[in-house]
This record gives sequence, structure tokens and C-alpha cells, in this order.
Amino acid sequence: MTLHTALVKIEDEKISSEKAKQFIASEKNGAESIFIGRVRNQNSGKKVAAVTYDAHDQAVLKSFQSICSTAKIKFDKNAKIFLEHAKGYAPVGEISILIAVGSVHREEAFKICRHILEEVKHQSPIWKKEHYVDGKEEWLPGHSLRPKKEVK
Amino acid sequence: MEIQLKLYGSSKILSDKDILNIQLPNNSDIKKLRDILAKIISEKYSKSDLKSLPKTAAFFSEKDEVINDSYKLRNKEFISIIPPIGGG
Repeated sequence: MTLHTALVKIEDEKISSEKAKQFIASEKNGAESIFIGRVRNQNSGKKVAAVTYDAHDQAVLKSFQSICSTAKIKFDKNAKIFLEHAKGYAPVGEISILIAVGSVHREEAFKICRHILEEVKHQSPIWKKEHYVDGKEEWLPGHSLRPKKEVK
Repeated sequence: MEIQLKLYGSSKILSDKDILNIQLPNNSDIKKLRDILAKIISEKYSKSDLKSLPKTAAFFSEKDEVINDSYKLRNKEFISIIPPIGGG
């Protein structure tokens, strides 16, 4: 198996970098690239306590498979890819996304990792609601999936 | 006719439940649904950040595919509203 993708209900389970490293390990590969995104404690001058991630589960999983398959075709068809994203209430410091790539060479490993991150942000229906230290909360703006020709 | 709209992201402000039932004239399309949503938001949620939602949201069919503005809705159809996304 060369591809693992999942949405992780973060209240029940943690995203594990050890699990990711084990998944991508292979003697055939000379490079491993790992990106970890975490909930940070501030955004636009506001003190953040946590983020709730909402997701359209089926569409997200479909997009993850598509994004990773495209990355393999584009950069290295033998790459091993691990992609998990959090769903639910994640306090500051929690891992929100983890992308791990094992590839023959470093260039492909870096490129695949970056490609997946950017495409997840633009294709996967996931939303963030920030919870602030002062008790307020706010859904963050994002990228519209509406066909561009329809938006005037 | 009536459709069931599954709410995601910022659109969850529109209801305490995950699904919002919306009354529409027969033979309505997605464009009509956008108009109805704009009316609901201007009447009840004018102080929220939802003003641009009817314009920026996409809609998914039950098969999780984007449906365009000319898509004809059926009575009792279940669709999802997809506000602008931003994971990672």
C-alpha cells in the first residue's frame, strides 16, 4: 500500500507523526519529507484558544485520494504518501494536518508535500472556526468552489 | 416544493440543526435557491458575516458533485451548501 488518507476525529484520536513515519518508510526511498500543520495561538491580532474543523467527509476523502494520486503521477509514481487532517475541536498546539512523503529523491519528496498542501487548501471542503481567548468565535473566510464563470 | 440543505462551515449559523428545510417555488434551480438564501440572510442574519454566502457558496448534489446554477431541483431533494473552504 502506497497511499493512506484520513480525516481524524480529533476528540477521539490524535494525528501521529510516528504512524506517518512508519507508513512511508521504505528501503527503496532515499528521501522523506514531512509537513505538520498545528493550531497556532494567534491570528490577525486575535488570541486563539482552539479551532473547530468542519468537513464534508465523503467529498474530503474523495479529494484527498484525487490530490495524492495526481501528485504521484506528476512527480513520482512510486512515492509513499500519508495524509491526515483533523476534524472537530482542536486546541492550540494540536496537529491539524500531517503530510508525509517517501520518495526516491529529495526534490520529488518536497514537491509532492507542497503540492498536496496547496491542493488540500483549494480543493478539500474543510472549514475552520476559530475560538478566541475572549470567548468570541468566527468562521474564517476561504476559497470558493463555485465555478468561476458563474461568479460575476 | 421543499428541499433539504445540509449545512457546512459558516452556513451553520443559519440553523441550530445540520439540515435546513427551504421552501421554493416548483421547478426552482440553484440560482433561485441563491436568491431565497440572500433574502433569508438579509431578513434574519444581516449582522452576520453571511452576506456574501449566496454568491460565493457552491452546492453539492447527493453524489457530492458540484451542481451549477441551472440545475433543476426536485421536491425533497437533499443537497449540500459548500461555503468557501479553508483547511490545512
